[in-house]
Amino acid sequence: MRMAKEITIALAGNPNSGKTTVFNNLTGARQHVGNWPGVTVEKKEGTCRYQGYTIKVVDLPGVYSLTAYSIDEIIARNFIVEEKPDAVVDIVDASNVERNLYLAIQLLEMGTPLIIALNMMDQAESRGHQIDVSQLSYLLGVPVVPMEANRSRGTQALLQEIVKMADSAVQPGRFRLDYGRELEEEIAKLQELISEDRELSRRYPPRWLAIKLLEGDEEVVKTLRVKQG
Amino acid sequence: MSWEEILEAQQRSLAHLRSVYREDAETVIADARYGFISGLMKETLRKPAIERRSISDSIDKVLVNRWLGLFIFLALLYGVFQFTFTASVPLMDWIDEGFGWLADEAGSISPAWLGSFIGDGIFGGVGSVLMFVPPIFLLFLALAFLEDCGYLARAAFVMDRLMHRIGLHGRSFIPLVLGFGCNVPAIMATRTIENPKDRLTTILINPFMSCGARLPIYILFAGAFFTSHQGLVVFSMYAIGIILATIMALVLRKTLLRGPSGHFVMELPPYRLPTITGLLMHTWERGKVFLIRAGTIIFAIVVLVWLLDYTGALEPIGRAIAPVFSPLGFGQWQAAVALVFGFLAKEVVVGTFGTLFAGAEGLGDLGDVVGLELAWTPLIAFGFMAFCLIYVPCVATIAIIRRETNSWRWPAFTVGYTIAIGWIVAMLIYQIGSLFT
Repeated sequence: MRMAKEITIALAGNPNSGKTTVFNNLTGARQHVGNWPGVTVEKKEGTCRYQGYTIKVVDLPGVYSLTAYSIDEIIARNFIVEEKPDAVVDIVDASNVERNLYLAIQLLEMGTPLIIALNMMDQAESRGHQIDVSQLSYLLGVPVVPMEANRSRGTQALLQEIVKMADSAVQPGRFRLDYGRELEEEIAKLQELISEDRELSRRYPPRWLAIKLLEGDEEVVKTLRVKQG
Repeated sequence: MSWEEILEAQQRSLAHLRSVYREDAETVIADARYGFISGLMKETLRKPAIERRSISDSIDKVLVNRWLGLFIFLALLYGVFQFTFTASVPLMDWIDEGFGWLADEAGSISPAWLGSFIGDGIFGGVGSVLMFVPPIFLLFLALAFLEDCGYLARAAFVMDRLMHRIGLHGRSFIPLVLGFGCNVPAIMATRTIENPKDRLTTILINPFMSCGARLPIYILFAGAFFTSHQGLVVFSMYAIGIILATIMALVLRKTLLRGPSGHFVMELPPYRLPTITGLLMHTWERGKVFLIRAGTIIFAIVVLVWLLDYTGALEPIGRAIAPVFSPLGFGQWQAAVALVFGFLAKEVVVGTFGTLFAGAEGLGDLGDVVGLELAWTPLIAFGFMAFCLIYVPCVATIAIIRRETNSWRWPAFTVGYTIAIGWIVAMLIYQIGSLFT
């Protein structure tokens, strides 16, 4: 007998990347609007059935970055760190890849199982932008799905990648950005200290936490201060 | 290994990096990421050597123009109200006839108290509020269109320059425009503002942005007293709200909330043709709140008003408060009662009049009936509309200010200062206006 498998995915992306349209395409009318715990930011959730999977889709707030400077960004990254969704789909505006990828890079650094949905391909093409999708996918080490969400194109391909990712349970984390000798030395020092702490290394990817500390991330510093009592 | 040691190591690393780079590590990290991306782009993205000037850019030359942009924004806003009116008249007539018929039918129900309850209380009170569902939905539809097509971001950009002068910036503009729908989600939307003082200022001036619940009041009286200039009169209410918000922002930034405002780069998303589904969804999301309110809180309050009226308890309450409003021209007990209950939700102002004056004339003439019964002049009606615009937004807005500022100080401040300003403005309108009539 086949068991219905349940997976959770999160939708991330910049504002105006067509995230809401992708969310609607995936979940249709099966949506539920609530609040993120403790704050009054709207939280949209929906479900979607595909190939025997029940996929819970969580719409993260639209953000450009994952710093601690706004509540939206903190919500988005806390969800990814704490709930560990089976896949994170980053909706990238294909006509503005350069800026949109800044978020993707940060998601990759968190070690999330990432899928890049390259949305609004038609607009990119009409501007004469040619994107080498397979090369992009190869260089980042994640699946890249071209989409035109406003014409409902690419949803099936996206669902396929989501299911494939949930099935294979591949270890993500191939991505590693080189920050240069000086920074890498400091990252390594902190990373080692973090790895020695069982609780911290279980909760956070050590390299990510080290980078966050060097960014002077207030949320992370606060967590470390509070927890030590 | 204690976490304190990690934080100490962090401090050492940061100090070291600062001495090496003469910059915060944060900046260096961000630069490295951008560097990586630009390298990635070289291998994966090919753009035409000279990017064609997109249609977006051409439109922006006009819409984001320093002076023309402001004019276009005001013209569009005016157009939105004209559209709201013109398109909603037939729908309102239709609903009006329906409720009028129902109220007539209910009048013959016995016993008489039940007939009065159903006819005056429910159909008169709730019906008079529901009649304004079409303009509210059409206003939201128009706002959804401006938002979805990418115009609202341009308006924010145009306003950015002006907002800098009042110590705010364009990011405060979107929550302010959202306030035209409902102040509650608008105040929640201020969360994207990073600077705490910018955010608090935006929260405190938000109630001046005239929400959808106030629209019924304007339409009711503009229709009755300013037949040939309805659109203009309603537009002037929104304008008064915006002017007051501007003045208050300036005052707050110079006094209680002094300090530098944050900087940020406004982003201009490309223009897009909104999808019908998207428009309808956005309109419905905002509009359904009013239907739900009409069925719950408005219904409950209107029933309370009817009960107090039927038992004769309402008039003494009104008479006790009415003198406060005498210098404003609307010192009648019915107006006082409507304003007191309007504290709970602004639609109730209309609902209360609907219950008090529900008669055979039908709801469509409610404004005329109120004017006749209370002997109001257009000047008094205008002052009344202005007072409704300015005084305490509603209980829900106060509650959200309490939650978002996490203190009772700011909601209490909002209640106090909006009543004071409302009273002063309406008094000035009436007293100065009386000199000329």
